[in-house]
Amino acid sequence: MVLKVNNLSKSFNGQNVFEDISFSAAAGEIVCIRGKSGEGKTTLLRCINNLEFPDRGSIEINSLYLYKEESGQVKHASKSELQSIHQEIGLVFQNFNLFPHMNVMENLIEAPVFLKKMSSDKAKERALELLEQLELEGKEHSYPYQLSGGQKQRVAIARACMLNPSILCFDEPTSALDESTRGQISKIIRKLSSQGMAIIIVTHDNAFVDEIAEKIITLSEGKVTIEKTRRP
Amino acid sequence: MESKVLEMLVPMTLEGLKSTIGVFAVTLATSLPLSILVAKMRMSRNKIVSSLTGIYIYIMRGTPLLLQLMFIFFGFVFVPYIGYAFSRTQAIFIAFILNYTAYFAEIFRGGINSIDIGQYEAAQVLGLSRARAFMKIILPQVIKNVLPSIGNEVIALVKDTSLVYILGASDILKAAKSVSNRYSAFSPYIFVGFVYLAITAVLTKALAKIENKYNYYR
Repeated sequence: MVLKVNNLSKSFNGQNVFEDISFSAAAGEIVCIRGKSGEGKTTLLRCINNLEFPDRGSIEINSLYLYKEESGQVKHASKSELQSIHQEIGLVFQNFNLFPHMNVMENLIEAPVFLKKMSSDKAKERALELLEQLELEGKEHSYPYQLSGGQKQRVAIARACMLNPSILCFDEPTSALDESTRGQISKIIRKLSSQGMAIIIVTHDNAFVDEIAEKIITLSEGKVTIEKTRRP
Repeated sequence: MESKVLEMLVPMTLEGLKSTIGVFAVTLATSLPLSILVAKMRMSRNKIVSSLTGIYIYIMRGTPLLLQLMFIFFGFVFVPYIGYAFSRTQAIFIAFILNYTAYFAEIFRGGINSIDIGQYEAAQVLGLSRARAFMKIILPQVIKNVLPSIGNEVIALVKDTSLVYILGASDILKAAKSVSNRYSAFSPYIFVGFVYLAITAVLTKALAKIENKYNYYR
């Protein structure tokens, strides 16, 4: 399993968002986390991506602990462990969060050059490969404001894939897309999963879940109530 | 304007211009980088650091620059334990740098606050260090946002340099005053008024160019 979430709980100001959530994801598996608004889907995804600190429980990413519960206390990974963990997991935000002052190429090579100490030339080579795979050839010098919503999302996917992560997370990937772009994104997700990447998708789009999910996790009243595994 | 007035005014104005440009350039070159640090200190989670920085900014913005100049030159020597007699030039630079750093810091604080939290989160998720994220992701966007406000302060600084007269230092306004007193003429003041306008015109053009440079993205 590339992702193991064990007994994870999170509250804000004493209000439980979710409690004792456990699930796992295998390499190449597409896991959808669904639930109504306010059920804590995005908070769960943020915990997995080190953007929120859980109250209890543990998260293991490719055998590295992001959070580990020891004698009732949640311990955070050390700085050096975090550096390794960041290379194993990527996140595509709902509104993409591309860096507006950087062109597509600069957006893509920033992390590998800094984190992996990759040479700029090598990073650019990898970026061009990814842009081609995501049908964004010729867009490397464009700035985010010059791209459509679907193109921005694909740049965000390319940026997250630059570090070759084992897990790629999506927050509401279909929320801002039209029908044809939606088809494109499910094709890309399937392709990434076939390359061995575990995909974690948070969505309230049930049609998309039915179309793509191999494992469905439904959050309701802060708890996992359904977990079923199937091939789409 | 009579030629004898001009004969005296031009060299004195040029001499004063050196001082005006010196104060302007040193203040700008020092205050701008310093103010980013002060803005970060003001936003620090450490309450002591944040409060002390807040008090400094409050004093600098709450009292006239003229008074600050006078205090540093004439009054600082009487401060118990840390009192020191600054030279005229030192007092001028210290007062201007402290004052303008406070104003610039508040502009930068607003600029930093205006950046979407998603930009910080994207940098964090990509594994960038906090320093790298600030320097490469946040600061360039902040600079674009604050440029118009910084521009206003830069132009105000040119005019504020005339306050050095209170410490007896020379500047272009003092040149006009000397010549005006000598020949009982008002024309030297009009002359230096045009000098200030010329400096402002050059700065306005330069600032517009810098703003344009940042217009490559939205």
